[in-house]
Amino acid sequence: MSGSKRGTCSMGDSHNVSRRGLLKVGAGAAGLYAMRDLAMVSSFGARGAGGYRALVCVFLYGGNDSFNMLVPTSNARYAEYLAARQNLAVPAEDLLPITPTTNDGITYGIHPSCTELRSLFDAGSLAIVRNVGTLIGPLTKAQYQAGVAAVPPQLFSHSDQQFQWQTGVSGSAENVGWGGRVADVAGSLNVGSQLAMNLSLSGANTFQVGHDTLPYNLGVNGAIQLSGLFQNWNQDRTAAFEALLDAPQSNRLVRQFAGIQQQAIDVQGVVTSALSSAPTLTTVFPNTGLGRQLRMVARMISIRSSVSASRQVFFVSRGGFDTHDDQEQDQPGLYSDISQCLAAFQAAMVELGISDSVTAFTGSDFGRTLTSNGDGSDHGWGSHHLVLGGGVRGGDLYGTMPSFQMGGVDDVGGGRLLPTTSVDQYSATLARWYGLTEPQIAQVFPNVANFASSDLGLML
Amino acid sequence: MDRKTIHSEARTNALPGWKDCQWFAVVTAMGLGGCGGGGSSVDEVPLPPITATSDVPESDEDAARFLTQATFGTRSSDIDLLNANGFTGWIQWQKILPSSLERPGLEAQDAAGADVYQQHRVYAWWRNAVAGHDQLRQRLAWALSQIFVVSDVAGALGNDPIGMAEYYDVLVQNALGNYRDLLEDVTLSPVMGRYLSMLGNEKADPLHNIRPDENYAREVMQLFTIGLHELNPDGSRALDGDGDPIPTYDQDTIENFARVFTGWNYADADSWHWPDSNYRPMEPWLAYHDTDAKTLLGGVLLPANQTPAEDLTASLDNLFQHQNVGPFIGRMLIQRLVTSNPSSEYVGRVAAVFADDGTGERGDLFEVAKAILLDEEARNGHADDPVNFGKLKEPLLRQTALWRAFAAGSAIGTYQDGWPEGSWGQAPLRSPSVFNFYSPFYRPPGEMLDNGLFGPEFQITTHTLITSGTNRLHDLVLWLNDSNSGLDGDDVYIRTAYERGLAADPVALVDHLDLLLMAGGMSAWMKDVVVDRVTHVSMSDGGYDRVTEAIYLIVTSPEGAVQR
Repeated sequence: MSGSKRGTCSMGDSHNVSRRGLLKVGAGAAGLYAMRDLAMVSSFGARGAGGYRALVCVFLYGGNDSFNMLVPTSNARYAEYLAARQNLAVPAEDLLPITPTTNDGITYGIHPSCTELRSLFDAGSLAIVRNVGTLIGPLTKAQYQAGVAAVPPQLFSHSDQQFQWQTGVSGSAENVGWGGRVADVAGSLNVGSQLAMNLSLSGANTFQVGHDTLPYNLGVNGAIQLSGLFQNWNQDRTAAFEALLDAPQSNRLVRQFAGIQQQAIDVQGVVTSALSSAPTLTTVFPNTGLGRQLRMVARMISIRSSVSASRQVFFVSRGGFDTHDDQEQDQPGLYSDISQCLAAFQAAMVELGISDSVTAFTGSDFGRTLTSNGDGSDHGWGSHHLVLGGGVRGGDLYGTMPSFQMGGVDDVGGGRLLPTTSVDQYSATLARWYGLTEPQIAQVFPNVANFASSDLGLML
Repeated sequence: MDRKTIHSEARTNALPGWKDCQWFAVVTAMGLGGCGGGGSSVDEVPLPPITATSDVPESDEDAARFLTQATFGTRSSDIDLLNANGFTGWIQWQKILPSSLERPGLEAQDAAGADVYQQHRVYAWWRNAVAGHDQLRQRLAWALSQIFVVSDVAGALGNDPIGMAEYYDVLVQNALGNYRDLLEDVTLSPVMGRYLSMLGNEKADPLHNIRPDENYAREVMQLFTIGLHELNPDGSRALDGDGDPIPTYDQDTIENFARVFTGWNYADADSWHWPDSNYRPMEPWLAYHDTDAKTLLGGVLLPANQTPAEDLTASLDNLFQHQNVGPFIGRMLIQRLVTSNPSSEYVGRVAAVFADDGTGERGDLFEVAKAILLDEEARNGHADDPVNFGKLKEPLLRQTALWRAFAAGSAIGTYQDGWPEGSWGQAPLRSPSVFNFYSPFYRPPGEMLDNGLFGPEFQITTHTLITSGTNRLHDLVLWLNDSNSGLDGDDVYIRTAYERGLAADPVALVDHLDLLLMAGGMSAWMKDVVVDRVTHVSMSDGGYDRVTEAIYLIVTSPEGAVQR
């Protein structure tokens, strides 16, 4: 990395820096990178500098109870599932059967509200990775119980486990996410772009914060314009407004605010202009929070060339998964929303002819307890996750299916399952597809070397 | 001081009736009727007298800085009041003022046959925040509502506006009381009970692999009392021999507390499984309570066969007595009122008052609030550490400050702004989750992160929301003001008569606005820009445009957005 960290390092020591310096923070990443070692571009793999690639993180806030999303249906396995879940179990006859490419001797079904996901699985564009969770290194139940191996701190806590999922480094307190670190090493690919590589449709998140790069936040209708400014009739007011953003400031909070407002103004023009010439999508998205976010992601992808983006990382989210209560009533609605929104997104990517280059994947705080608290489940650990796109070796299951036996090899208590695949392995697999080289993978995911493989084999 | 002086309006704008409506809740609660949606005036309850103390502000700016921290926005009349009666006199007077509430008004509306929805609760919140006399109590309640979070975003609460209003009233009534009482009232609130699923939580049923719900047990520790790590008395993390932080509890502790919080349901329920809902404190059902022994924090043992109430009392005492509570809650309250990055010494001084208010009482929130506001760091932090001191103003407080400074109200007396989160990313009791709108540990990326600075409010200052917030201020100032003859009866608008009297002298105008909106903290650079701009706005309309142009530039500016 070059010496100037995010272009703001010097500002920490100076009280009289204009917001023009801060301007480089987010939107100006490309400008910064243009000055850096352009040889870095050639360090990318063959897939690197060529075509477009995008990752779309779909974060399911609250901790998705994915053990009802993918259910083992072979007799003995379903009996274990039913015994553990009791009144939380989905009836066997309601599950939608799937036939994974790899036969592991178990049959599986998908939650009845996920009809679209089942079709995507059958069509080969959806893969499911089983029992993923935060880990520092391989861990057995015996080691966990004896306390003789490193265990991620603050298991089962929402805020901490969201943080660890998004950093991709369990146990690190560093406030940078793996999407952000990917942009740190890959940002040079977006030569000439005024737009940050990381775009959030869901506000601030840890995932997209890098050491050297910052995300840009969009609304579901794109970037909004300032009222009563930047028009011919209000030039004098605009000049004063801008002068106040430019004012030399001693206070760091004031500078932070000015920087964000300035970035919003600068990037708004670029985004609004590009979106005005975006093709009209015929794909209809569900009119839900997640649907609207994914629709704007699709629209942004459709104008990738006009904003000079060859690599983009998007962040969208949906809440409501903390199903301590009323799980049986709430889960169908949660699942049908995910299913319909992801299906619409995949259809839009096919419509744009870009589906091979866009991969959507889920993340979540944690899985949930197999056992019930009466009408819901509590905070768990490992959980299943979805990976979707034309670049995915879909129609198959990855990772290891855990045992649902209460008190069994994977149950660390109350049906909290010890993950059999780490978030790091899952994330590194996606980052490699995005274009990171092996040294870059090692740099972005410092703990992944602790595990047998950093490639789950699910990407084409 | 008599009531007339309290109502001094020497430097502000009279709005007929606007102060009357704030007594709606109190008056209605006393069965005397109210101004309700109509906003007709009612007999005002006389305010208790204020007893002056000698610690008067050094200047108007000093008074205004204090009011920015202690109220929902500075008014000229409040500066006068502080100058005349001292900081301590004002704080002690605030404690004895009647509480402005939300539920009574909503119930009156319901009783009159009108629909009651969540927005009506929010209207009442604006009214109490903007026009309530009990500003300190309301400001503390607002801060507490961001610690003891419930949200109508949750499906279970969305159709219970009266219950939500009562929950807020519980915070208001306890805001200057004792933390232990607050903790118990929150724990037994059926709204919290629904939100974190303690209501209807029952003992284990091993036959069906059913365990007690762990939701409330976990969050009451992580968010409402002790946090995740053992703290030193000054709020810094205690470390073990290896230099690692020490967890305050583990999964086993959570499971024990989860068993404590079993056997509670709606008051007067005639069925455990199908109870009728109401807003009164939850009541115990022994048959659904786990009566085995339990182990609490610090190895404290609860014997078997206790009642739900006995277990609850002992467990809340156990949490309340933990040494973390003072520094943990104290730091968060400082962040809500004064600065995002208090020194450990400041946190330590506040935590010491929490531990003992001077009379041996632990958890005295009134004394804690006083300690926060009168601390050396609160009063002089802007001068002692100008680079790092202060906080980004919370979005809703930018709006209340504008409305208070210019006596905003509507012709019909209500404050009908029911969905402010669309512009601001914030609304009363409407955060996305129990983790509030922002984390007290959020560090905004960039220069602040690099320097280890917290800035919770920046978590909702996205590129989108910063622009929609600026646009909201555009409308509130440049459209919703008293020069606009096309307003509807329910439009809340600012009054600028006093300021128009200054408009011919741009420097005097901007100095006055600097005091009201920025506690006199405007840089010389900024003052030049605003004065220059205002000077070039025509006076042909009697000064309306000059005044609103100046206000708009100030409230949307980076300097204006940060409280110092």
